[in-house]
Amino acid sequence: MKRRFFSLLAILSALFLWGCYPEGPVYTEDMDIVITNHNPAYNFAGKGTYAMPDKIVKITGNLQKGDAPVFIPDANAAQIISEIAKNMQSLGWQRVDLSASPDMILTPASLETTTITFYYDYWGWWYGGYPGYGWGYYPPVYASAYSTGTLLMTLLDKNELGANGNPIAQWAGAINGVLTGRFDATRINPLIDKAFGQSSYLSTK
Amino acid sequence: MKKALYIFLFTIIALPAMSQVSFVSWQYSMGIGSGDLHSFINPVSFRGFTVNYSKFVKPGVAVGFEAGWNTFYEKKSWDTYTIGNFSYSGKQYRYSNNVPLLFTASYFMNTDENLIPFAGLGIGTMYTEKRTDFGTYSFTNDAWQFAVKPELGIIFKTDGASLSLSTKYYYGFKGGDLPSTNYFTINVGLVFRR
Repeated sequence: MKRRFFSLLAILSALFLWGCYPEGPVYTEDMDIVITNHNPAYNFAGKGTYAMPDKIVKITGNLQKGDAPVFIPDANAAQIISEIAKNMQSLGWQRVDLSASPDMILTPASLETTTITFYYDYWGWWYGGYPGYGWGYYPPVYASAYSTGTLLMTLLDKNELGANGNPIAQWAGAINGVLTGRFDATRINPLIDKAFGQSSYLSTK
Repeated sequence: MKKALYIFLFTIIALPAMSQVSFVSWQYSMGIGSGDLHSFINPVSFRGFTVNYSKFVKPGVAVGFEAGWNTFYEKKSWDTYTIGNFSYSGKQYRYSNNVPLLFTASYFMNTDENLIPFAGLGIGTMYTEKRTDFGTYSFTNDAWQFAVKPELGIIFKTDGASLSLSTKYYYGFKGGDLPSTNYFTINVGLVFRR
């Protein structure tokens, strides 16, 4: 009898607490995050020009030398590129063509992935590097653990090379969130703004 | 969360093995964090309860066992956290699950009256799980902490189940990777005399 009484009390108590346990995030936007990192020894203020492609490469994780990369739809990329360019301009940067020897190169990329600790130079084919070779990425960007999408933005100085001879990223911004199956600029653009907003050291002014 | 639930269920279901029940109390418990817990989670917790089994060993003095569960939670607004060269922005969801498992001793005054003030002390352990969800990441630390609990309260004696009102202060000492975990509780509940 006593055991039944206690069991009932325990189960009712557990149900009571379980029923009102905090639910955490409700909307997918609640799980959006922005992570930025930079090399504190690098002087961004001494720079002024950058080049950026008009496409956003999609990292698939198995690009080999000679393989053609995959891109996200141009319409989506255009909105993201435009937002990045707007932020760079407000920080004092001038976007120039790759042939104009820019001070830095900004390489946007997207991925749907599990955890990553580095990624491959998907833009090497564009600026003359070596596609398919891992970067000495500084420092590593950690992405998500399940069905999430990530927009990676990386600022490179081709004159700053790592031990393996590849450019080291001087700034990286990662926007990570749960995928919803449709592109939503009203969700992504404010996150891009936040990535640059929390990176005031990028200012050339 | 699940671990806390299993610990609680196992403990409370095992209580009858002690036999010779004198009274059992069930209390709804509201928690107010202090110290590091207050810094981690600011809002008052309205999610908690305790179950106590005690036996009178001499007039006015009872010893027993208490199991409880208090969940603290706070949703932080969008904010930026800088650690070294990294800056992280997003919403944090913070949780602290606390399951005290304590041996208790209580002293009841005026046991023949309808209003019975009492004071108690508990000593034992507290399982504490501290978790922060950030984006799709979850960071959890948990530990078994040595714990003590003073208590003051009053019982309103009735013909059936009596009513109880008390306040407790749980102090879980630093353990594992966790700092000390401290919180007050205000408790209302029922006392079933056997």
